[in-house]
Amino acid sequence: MSKDKDSKEIQGYRQQPGKLPFSKPGSGGKNSFSKPIDLENIPVSQNGRKDQPWGPHRHDSLISGQVIGRPTALVDSAWKVTGQAQYGDDIRLPNELIGRIVRSPYHYAKILSIDCSDALNLPGVVAVATGIDAKNKFGVLPVTKDEHAMAVDKVRHAGDLIACIAAENENIAREAERLIKIEYEILESIHDIEDGLEDSEYPIHDRGQYHIGNSNIQKRVFQEFGDISSLEKNTVASHRSNWTFAGVNHGFTEPHAVVANWSPDGRLTLYTPQQVPHYVHRSLADVLEIPMHQINVHRTFVGGGFGGKSDPFPHEMCAAILARKSGRPVRITFDREEVFWVNRGRHPSKIEMNLHADSEGRICGIETDALIDGGGFASFGHVTTYYNGVLHTAPYEIGSFHYTGARVWTNKPASGAMRGHGAVNSRCAVEVGLDDLAEKLEVDPITLRLANLLPPHSATITGFRVTSIGMRECLERVKKESGWSEKFRKMPLGKGIGVGCGFFISGSGLPIHWDPNKFPHATVHLKIDMDGGVTIHTGAAEIGQGSDTVVSQSVAEVLGLPLDMIRIRSRESDTSPVDLGSYSSRVTFMNANAAISAAMKIRDELIKAASDITGASLNSLIVGDRRIFDKNDPAIGVSYLEALHKSQEEKGALISSGAYRTPPMGKTHKGAAAGLAPAYSFSAYVAEVSVDIETGKTTVDKVWAAHDCGKALNPLAVKGQIIGSCHMGLGQVLSEEMRYGRSGHLMNPDFLDYKIPSIHEMPEVIPIIVESNDPEGPFGAKEAGEGPLLPILPAVCNAVYDAIGVRTEELPITSEKVFKLVEKKCRLQGISNPLDLKSPRLEFSDLQNTLDKRAQLHSKRDIERRLNSNREEYYNGAIFGLEPTKSPEEIDDNWSVRVIPEENYLLSPRLAGSAWKHIERRNMGD
Amino acid sequence: MVEFRLPMLPQPGEVVWSVKINGIDVKLNIESNAILLDVLRDQAGSLGTKRGCDMGTCGCCSVLVDGEPRLSCLTLAAELNGHEITTVEGLANGHHLHPIQKTFTEFGGSQCGFCTPGFLVVSSALLSENNDPTDEEIKTAIEGNLCRCTGFQQIVDSIRAASDIIKENNSIEDSTSAKSNPHPGFMEGG
Amino acid sequence: MPPFELYTPDSIEQALEISGNLSRENKEFDWIAGGTDLLPNYKWHINSKNYVISLSSIDELRKLNNVHIGATVSIYDLANSPTTHPVLAKAANSIASVMIRRSGTVGGNICLDTRCYWLNQSETWRESIDWCHKCDCGTGADCRVIPNQNTLCVATYQADLAPVLMCLGAEIHLLSHKGKRSMKLEDFFELDGIKRNVLFPGEFITHVSIPNDSAEWIGDYQKLRQRDSWDFPEAGVAVLWKTNPDNTIKDLRIATTGLESIPAIHHKEVGEALTSWKGEDSVDDLADSIRKAVKPVQNTWFSPNYRKKMVKVLTKRAFGNLLVE
Repeated sequence: MSKDKDSKEIQGYRQQPGKLPFSKPGSGGKNSFSKPIDLENIPVSQNGRKDQPWGPHRHDSLISGQVIGRPTALVDSAWKVTGQAQYGDDIRLPNELIGRIVRSPYHYAKILSIDCSDALNLPGVVAVATGIDAKNKFGVLPVTKDEHAMAVDKVRHAGDLIACIAAENENIAREAERLIKIEYEILESIHDIEDGLEDSEYPIHDRGQYHIGNSNIQKRVFQEFGDISSLEKNTVASHRSNWTFAGVNHGFTEPHAVVANWSPDGRLTLYTPQQVPHYVHRSLADVLEIPMHQINVHRTFVGGGFGGKSDPFPHEMCAAILARKSGRPVRITFDREEVFWVNRGRHPSKIEMNLHADSEGRICGIETDALIDGGGFASFGHVTTYYNGVLHTAPYEIGSFHYTGARVWTNKPASGAMRGHGAVNSRCAVEVGLDDLAEKLEVDPITLRLANLLPPHSATITGFRVTSIGMRECLERVKKESGWSEKFRKMPLGKGIGVGCGFFISGSGLPIHWDPNKFPHATVHLKIDMDGGVTIHTGAAEIGQGSDTVVSQSVAEVLGLPLDMIRIRSRESDTSPVDLGSYSSRVTFMNANAAISAAMKIRDELIKAASDITGASLNSLIVGDRRIFDKNDPAIGVSYLEALHKSQEEKGALISSGAYRTPPMGKTHKGAAAGLAPAYSFSAYVAEVSVDIETGKTTVDKVWAAHDCGKALNPLAVKGQIIGSCHMGLGQVLSEEMRYGRSGHLMNPDFLDYKIPSIHEMPEVIPIIVESNDPEGPFGAKEAGEGPLLPILPAVCNAVYDAIGVRTEELPITSEKVFKLVEKKCRLQGISNPLDLKSPRLEFSDLQNTLDKRAQLHSKRDIERRLNSNREEYYNGAIFGLEPTKSPEEIDDNWSVRVIPEENYLLSPRLAGSAWKHIERRNMGD
Repeated sequence: MVEFRLPMLPQPGEVVWSVKINGIDVKLNIESNAILLDVLRDQAGSLGTKRGCDMGTCGCCSVLVDGEPRLSCLTLAAELNGHEITTVEGLANGHHLHPIQKTFTEFGGSQCGFCTPGFLVVSSALLSENNDPTDEEIKTAIEGNLCRCTGFQQIVDSIRAASDIIKENNSIEDSTSAKSNPHPGFMEGG
Repeated sequence: MPPFELYTPDSIEQALEISGNLSRENKEFDWIAGGTDLLPNYKWHINSKNYVISLSSIDELRKLNNVHIGATVSIYDLANSPTTHPVLAKAANSIASVMIRRSGTVGGNICLDTRCYWLNQSETWRESIDWCHKCDCGTGADCRVIPNQNTLCVATYQADLAPVLMCLGAEIHLLSHKGKRSMKLEDFFELDGIKRNVLFPGEFITHVSIPNDSAEWIGDYQKLRQRDSWDFPEAGVAVLWKTNPDNTIKDLRIATTGLESIPAIHHKEVGEALTSWKGEDSVDDLADSIRKAVKPVQNTWFSPNYRKKMVKVLTKRAFGNLLVE
């Protein structure tokens, strides 16, 4: 500091460095001086030093360098580590009753009578309710409301709800369960997924005129896009497989729990660990026949969701009904077994996968048939049926896409949404198929992928708008860091390496239960009073993924504040703006965008106040650490609190509201909205495994996991999501399955036999974050919660092939299954000792060069497209020589767009495709 | 179908239970067959001790009995008369977190947080026995605890980081100390 | 948890007095030590009794040295004690998870209740299969594993310590208000998933004694399971041998667990193999004869066929050290 500068006279609001002005009311605390702006964290577009290989972003000017991009502890973590976080069962209200649910022991039965008198006569039993107490149906999707609080006419799976009891304590409630007498008429139950396709005497549900024949088909989808007619002619290599995927459960550690309380003013408060409080809110209103404003849904801490706490649940209705009847608060907590009865886990599925490549190593066709087992209720199944198809139309450019999907009801606990909703199983089949296709084409499977990627700012074959895409970087990074080229098809017997990719929606473009033309997807309110602390109101459901943290970070970043000045209120529907909840990986994208927009309004007011005080022009003022100052002369400026107080002079507390709505996009065919998202995440994993050839035991040794999340707002949380996804995906690939016995019973509704990998099964995971800077994402961010699960399954399956040369078409690949595959291979090769098997090896063909060259060209193309804002349109199909700037169906007569099968398809349909043989009742005539 | 369910009533007789929970003497009347987890949650006010599976397969209910990790869901409370019990609520010293609590927040050891109390209790016991555990020792110590969110890796990172804090004898700041000043002055250089 | 009265005696005498009184009053009761096996079953209402006597406060039952293992020594302490035979320590360390090992006891592990997919379920669940023969006998329920019979129970014994202890020649010591008795551990078990062992109501294990020559026995314990934590053995093989100074086999014992309703020591197969021992080739034949000797059923995670085949692999692997030397 020069003497000369020091002695200068302070003019106007020029502050003396290192000297505090008079303190303002409410100020004090640590860090008395504003930190200098960290240029390493400011993008080059704003004259900072942070590289932007993907170009500038619309939020660049809002970056104050405070919190975004820094590993950040979750803002609610102090509650969790001290044991003070209250989850569902931790809500203890005075005078509470304990609720228990009476469940069906039968898979499928008519209820003839229920006699509750003995139970009601038991001292200590306060209320009993049955199906007649709540006849209105509900369900997460408005088109498929098929659930009741308790069975009204029949039970649809063992464990289905029949009655509920509120008693003074758990022992009395459990005793009362024994005393409820129920007469049943047992109906013939359906357990095999294929039986669901057939006509049945008593279909599990009745959809009225929309019922599909007399079958148990809940939803069927037919989609055909692209150049189907020349597929046969162009194909030089094909892959075909028939997969069987066991159902899996979310396995969150917190069992469902709920507390219902009617306050003296006649309003209901429901305390529930929910991912989607808003849909519970709607369903409660339907079932209880009261308006929504009479209900306050209070989301407790959520002990893991993963999709399993996103339906409105019957037990939530039961608690409200019992509390209404008894006049006292009612708490219901599940045993672990009951969690499996309510399920909503990943659908057991049978998937036929066909992939075709042409002589140029292009993917000229994908034909998929997916039959999924919905269990007893619709849940999210309508969407799942679409997702099994449409979520594998990227990241590759494809010549044609044919998808038939069907979801059937069976007498099992309902399947629903689970992390990677609908995309996981078919993605596994596609990626294993590509590995096989590469083998047949004699090329490297990573090169095959690199030479067939969609570019940034393009459209998929089904018309999804792809914006940023970091797929290529993901693949290149895992290839390099895993040492792929030295290992692939070169390792000794029993050691293998495999690759898998994935892509996933970052928020659903057309949300459930919402009119996109009238309401935003997400809304965030901010309130700042004279103390300077910022209160955020959002309905985004914090479920452990860091939703509260990311919204807080976004506001803190824009306002230039440290996180300790932000407090978030996201629990209660009474005080939060409506939010659609934590599903479809929408929270970061939509809520952080809404938060930014709300914070921008406050920021504008603060800058205006600072300008009024200092006289500096609005354009020259920027927001730094708790200070607003002239970017050309940082000494000219005011503290955050000064600006705040100035802007409060006329109107009191600053209040703003911000919202986000997806732009119009996508095509118009039936089902075009399913899978549509404002952005997509991409990921590529390489897994290295050891297979014990004598026992079949697969050990995953190491995983390189690259995920394109656009921009890691909180790298600590993104890495946590990647590693956690690997763990969950490994469970599905190695050991997790909902195993049904020969009499249709779920054999393993407990954590001993439902085998979630322990720490000993967990490999080292190297999380690699790729930042493709999505133009619409908040600060460039996209999702990181679900997409990272997809690639681990196929990467492991492909690594097992590399290790021992057997391909599985069944998950999980328990050691027993691998052992059987090895045995079979030995038998076929006439080998008695499996240790004598040969490791798979691969000599590349000439095509490898062609693909390498194309990948290099495309790499250049992609960089150009991502940086050039005047880029032209790019439609899927260009790689096959079509005009890239035109939608192919407009220019190519052979390019089909079909969502209903033609008659000749029905002559020999695939498995799920055969669902189209039935006629909807309304079309049956007379 | 035969009616065969076992009766849940009459409830068993009560016994006097005297223990020390988190350093405080506690005297309660508990049912003779009471499970420690139920007593802690329903009677002793330790709602931080979680019920995940109730069958010994998740570790969420772990507590320390005389310093040793135990599954409270598989422990009969009456057997512990006269013993000392530590739950997650007993780890911090006032508003100074235990190092393991601090590092679980900073290194991502806790996501949804439901399994966290169990992991904290078990790893605090590990670190008080051995302040410099190897990766294998850490893995074995927490092999009975299930986490569905983190994939364990950031939990192991957190334990390692806590071990560093303990080895270096660093203290953890009081969480009630003053937070940021909203009215800072200007420091040149930015 | 079904209602029961718990007794917590702090001496053997007190325990015998309580058990004697209950027996005289014809009141059924269970012993409990670690509780890691009994309590989950009780929570599922599997064969719960109205009275339970806890052995956990009796210090005399917790003695541990190289020849004496008290019944309520925790599996954790057994596994980590320097006096424990290394193969026994390996087996102990492989049991369930460290949290279970902290609570679970040696006596409890030896007496581990037999397990079955159709048994270890909640009361509601068992009701849905119209009950299970093993725990709901009053109903005359059928066996779901081998239908149309309710005489023999085929639930599986899935404990790890017994096979190693049997190979070491351990003796087990029992006590009741009627007196004490001792026997070879291999004579302790009685075939049937319900009966399981020779203990009569009121009798409990005080300790296991290990013969003095245990240090001369070397070998290995190998087990099959899906996960390396929590899971019960789907098959377990203990192979222990003594060698002559010239490294030839002097004696050999093999015992298996996790395959039938009781653990088995395979004297016959080993005896036949030893009469014409030819090193590595004999190992293969012997492993194959062990495979043939075991008769698993379909009531655990892996199929019986796979478990049988793995018995052969595990047996050969357990011999690994012998062949190296």
